Amino acid sequence: MQTISCPSCGANVNFVSKASIFAVCSYCKSSLVRQNMNLEVVGKISELRDDLTPIQIGTSGMFDGKKFEVIGRMRIGWADGYWNEWYSLYDGSKESWLVEAQGFLALCFPYDETPMPTKGVVSPGRNVHFGKHGYFQVEDMREVECIYSEGELPVNGPQGRISVSVDLTEEGGSDMATIEYADNETRVFVGKYKDFDEFQFKNLREIDGWKL
Amino acid sequence: MAGNSEGPLLPEDKGASKEEVKAKKPLARTFHCTNCGASVTLRCPGATLSVVCDSCHSIIDATDPNYRVLVKYYKATASYTPLLDLGLRGELKGRTWEVIGFMVRSDCVSRYHWEEYLLFNPYYGYRWLTQDKGHWNFVTPIKQKPQSGSSNNCYLDGKQFKLYNRGDAQVDYVVGEFYWRVMINSRVLMTDYIDPPRMLSSEKDDTEINWSLSEYITPAEIHAAFKPTKKLPYPVGVSATYPPKYKKTDDRIKLLFVLFWGIITCAQIYCAGTSLNDVAAQYNGTFVPNTKKADTTIPVFELKKDLANVFINVHANVSNSWFWIGGELVNDDTGVSYPIDTSVEYYYGTDSDGAWSEGGTTATAKIAQVPKGKYYINFDYESGDFKQLGGPTLQDFGVVVTRDVPTYDNYVWTFLGLLLGPLLSFAIMRKTEVARWENSDFSPYATSSYSSSYD
Repeated sequence: MQTISCPSCGANVNFVSKASIFAVCSYCKSSLVRQNMNLEVVGKISELRDDLTPIQIGTSGMFDGKKFEVIGRMRIGWADGYWNEWYSLYDGSKESWLVEAQGFLALCFPYDETPMPTKGVVSPGRNVHFGKHGYFQVEDMREVECIYSEGELPVNGPQGRISVSVDLTEEGGSDMATIEYADNETRVFVGKYKDFDEFQFKNLREIDGWKL
Repeated sequence: MAGNSEGPLLPEDKGASKEEVKAKKPLARTFHCTNCGASVTLRCPGATLSVVCDSCHSIIDATDPNYRVLVKYYKATASYTPLLDLGLRGELKGRTWEVIGFMVRSDCVSRYHWEEYLLFNPYYGYRWLTQDKGHWNFVTPIKQKPQSGSSNNCYLDGKQFKLYNRGDAQVDYVVGEFYWRVMINSRVLMTDYIDPPRMLSSEKDDTEINWSLSEYITPAEIHAAFKPTKKLPYPVGVSATYPPKYKKTDDRIKLLFVLFWGIITCAQIYCAGTSLNDVAAQYNGTFVPNTKKADTTIPVFELKKDLANVFINVHANVSNSWFWIGGELVNDDTGVSYPIDTSVEYYYGTDSDGAWSEGGTTATAKIAQVPKGKYYINFDYESGDFKQLGGPTLQDFGVVVTRDVPTYDNYVWTFLGLLLGPLLSFAIMRKTEVARWENSDFSPYATSSYSSSYD
């Protein structure tokens, strides 16, 4: 773990992952971009007014027999809702994302084995080939915006980052994939939906009035 | 029930476990409706997208800092009262759920409507309860895509679900809060596939298709979980997912049938194989046609094996005539007697249809369960022969007494009796299935075009 002082308030900003290039200072909420040992303040994250989720930075879980730990989050909003993407280190160092939307949870991993169609040709109902994972069908395609971030992230995730998010699922199974078309990059993830209990979460955030 | 009809029940009122008593409800927040000023409760801020004002039924954007009104909706159509009050908490399927939303939806064509209750748990997400004619389903949204099969079926984890209903559904009424921007009169294409007690449903609109898996849940379970103050309606008829309880019974009946059939078959084989089939006595005599004779005796003979049958076989060479024997089998020691009455008749001839014949030259009197011991037979006999009215001619007859003859009558009757069980069970099962599919346009039991006349 690397610790650098926040250039805005001087508090310690921790980087658990070497891959993280972006962080939010937990004290002053400055959004910071990392270059080697230097942090540059690029903005300020405004507090979330309502945030009802059992996941938090430091939550760990199990997936396919190995542990993952949550170290960052982007909250993604679109015209009719929002969801959370929790940046997690799987098995110590591997990039993974715990996607939390409307009570569904999936863990997914970066995928780059087969080329993806360009944004212009993707539409709901279309099948996309994911190599050994088979074909996935496009469920929906939405213009989204990062409305909040915290912890550390492997992408530059300031508030207002706009992209197009495509959700796909495997027919007959519960494998999922997402394609994110941003201005200068396309990020692709493949993973699996699982029930809350299957993740065997630890260090969950307590929710007032609710016992797990 | 403590008088706590207003707002959510406090955990103490539920008679719940200690952990739940500790749990309070600080999550909820109230604000003033931006349309009418009434107080609006937001039970799941952060998860809820839209909330409906109880007073003016405006739909409000729960994520907007100023609680922007999305839709101004005044009571235009009928008002509905949820059976489960918003805010009620209950334990279903081992987890606690809070009722946070209520919708009435209807089929766009038939106007047939039903109720849906949105349940929430911050860890496990959302579930639904649907209520239709007193029948309830517990509905879990699923991400797994069922596979479409041939014709009207689809498959989930290899299990077949049959198409039951398809049509546009619309939202007629809403209260509470929802994880999407709920709209009045918004339409989706709903398709239901059943494998009772489960149902797979898809809801499709222009932008997405959502699948869910429902399972029948009894009103008693709903009542035990939520302790509603309102009386739950009594279930009417056979709903789409009504549990096929009789199926288990039917399987059991079939199993029992096979089991008993096996037992009686084994018993039959055993009895037939071990029966004595022993000739205990024989008598040969003569008779004069058209006469009768009294008091002939077959002297004492022994019947072995206790409580076996006795067959008394009579043979006479009758020809377009009859020969009758009547009398009794008498136990020589106890005097207990068993009546015997049988006749041999044989007729034949030709008519416009050709040759015919009726009867035969032998007849058997059967006596069941005769104790072992010494017996004798007394009998009278009589004959009639209208061809031989002219003059008497002696004719032979014979009586053979056989002990413990293997029989099949009991076996056949018992088998037919046993068969009633599975037949009756099949009839009941079919009746229930026909009733289940009565509300469907896709009934496998529909015989004609009347099938689609539910509207």
